[in-house]
Amino acid sequence: MAPAPYLEFDGVAKYFGDLEVVAPFFNLNIKRNEFVVFLGPSGSGKTTLMRMVGGLETPSYGEIRLHGQPIGAPDRERGMVFQSYSSFPWLTVAENVAYGMKYRLDLTPERKKARLDHYLELVGLTDFADFYPNKVSGGMRQRIAIARTLAAGSEVLLMDEPFGALDAQRREGLQIELRRIHRQDAKTIIFVTHDVDEAVFLADRIIVFSKRPARMLQDIDISAELGPDRTLELRDSETFFKLRTRILKFVREATGAEEKV
Amino acid sequence: MTTTKAILSGASRAPAENAATMPRSQPRKDTRNQFFTFRGTLSKRAQILTAAFTSLFVLGLWELSTRLGWINATFLPPPSVTIETLWNMILHKNLLWHAGVSTLRIWVAFSIAVVMAIPIGIAMSSFRGVGAALEPIVDFIRYLPVPALVPLTIIWFGVGETTKIFLLWLGTFFQLVLLVADDMRRVPQEYVEISYTVGARPPQMLSDVAFRAMLPSLFDNLRITLGWCWTYLIIAEIVAANNGLGFVIWAARRYMNTSEVMAGVVTIGLIGLVTDQILRLVHKRLFRYL
Repeated sequence: MAPAPYLEFDGVAKYFGDLEVVAPFFNLNIKRNEFVVFLGPSGSGKTTLMRMVGGLETPSYGEIRLHGQPIGAPDRERGMVFQSYSSFPWLTVAENVAYGMKYRLDLTPERKKARLDHYLELVGLTDFADFYPNKVSGGMRQRIAIARTLAAGSEVLLMDEPFGALDAQRREGLQIELRRIHRQDAKTIIFVTHDVDEAVFLADRIIVFSKRPARMLQDIDISAELGPDRTLELRDSETFFKLRTRILKFVREATGAEEKV
Repeated sequence: MTTTKAILSGASRAPAENAATMPRSQPRKDTRNQFFTFRGTLSKRAQILTAAFTSLFVLGLWELSTRLGWINATFLPPPSVTIETLWNMILHKNLLWHAGVSTLRIWVAFSIAVVMAIPIGIAMSSFRGVGAALEPIVDFIRYLPVPALVPLTIIWFGVGETTKIFLLWLGTFFQLVLLVADDMRRVPQEYVEISYTVGARPPQMLSDVAFRAMLPSLFDNLRITLGWCWTYLIIAEIVAANNGLGFVIWAARRYMNTSEVMAGVVTIGLIGLVTDQILRLVHKRLFRYL
């Protein structure tokens, strides 16, 4: 028997009352340490699918399994990064990151301190450790959230349009940072966005979704074409541009085709 | 013209985002005072001066209107007389002691209301069952006029302290509990979910995150309802009382001693003003991160 897939969506569908959010039946296998982007129009069910991995929603049909175990209540092995309200305003940057370890009884205080320093360093917030979130930029607040989930020891990072509220420059900077963090501290990432550029730049693999109810339209592995290193130069390269055009076409077709129905 | 300038000057201030990353150069200060620009800026000094001016103007007009005989001083004693009476009452009629008694009653009743309203309010918005069970009752009682319940209260508790505390509590608790519920309801769902996804159990989420997140607005609501509590003082203290500011005012009324009535009212106003300012200051200190 083949080993169980790392993260597996098995015949999933989701309804909120009469509202069909995820069309039956959604199947997907995600490999360990894969950077998967869920790309699709706003208000499709892609966020709901991601939230089900987090344990924040339960599938109406089917099952989602991590290491072959069905996903239950939220747990620190699956961390969330939201677009807004992603850090606590009453805690300093360092305290916010440390909050990820607050309920971990397996770590000694010394170990927690070491991890805190490590992750602050990793996301470049060491110099801002004692600032309150209202004194740092929106981009830094998203770094806080990323560092918190890493400190918590999450294996799977669930990111819900985390850079959606940032201006273009900051967004680009954070995308590069996120890829670097992904390389240094390998995690499985599900990243939800409606921005094609962002999807192509970040992803190993892009899942293109239809409008609501969410249906998988394309499953495109771009890791071979773009490689693991994502730099600003890559962004201006022909390979990137071609990929982007190709995927944009899928997205347009997807929404266009749905419109006629 | 002024409006355009206001917009421009507003935009030229360094955006908060960059505050931490940019070297702190001399910020350009806009000292122009905009008294009648929509959401314009007004310096602290100008605000204080304006407040002082209008207060003095009203006091002056009041004083003048009785001095010049526009209004009979028996009905509306002028400020000078009120202050004099106030002073005499402090010296000879134990006004400060009466004020102390009233303040104590307020704080006892208010504390009971707070201690009850916080957990009940939180439970009401956190758990649908509790909310569904209590909301109709609270909403009903909230609309009942406190004075209408005075006779019943006397029958239940007699004419002692319990009645006074109960009436003050009655006016405060049912308002506060809904405000607390609302504060909890407004805690962003993201905070709750962050907490759960780093491994918090529901009680830990409630105490470490949800309660902490609602604190600033809770504190504000406590400050506001404390003010409401004072407005029920007269009702509570006209019931067979022989002390407290409500009693002082009610007793003075019986002898048409309007200057003493006025002095009592002013005392309540002053206590309110001072308390409110202190609580505002505490709020600023406690929630520096806002």
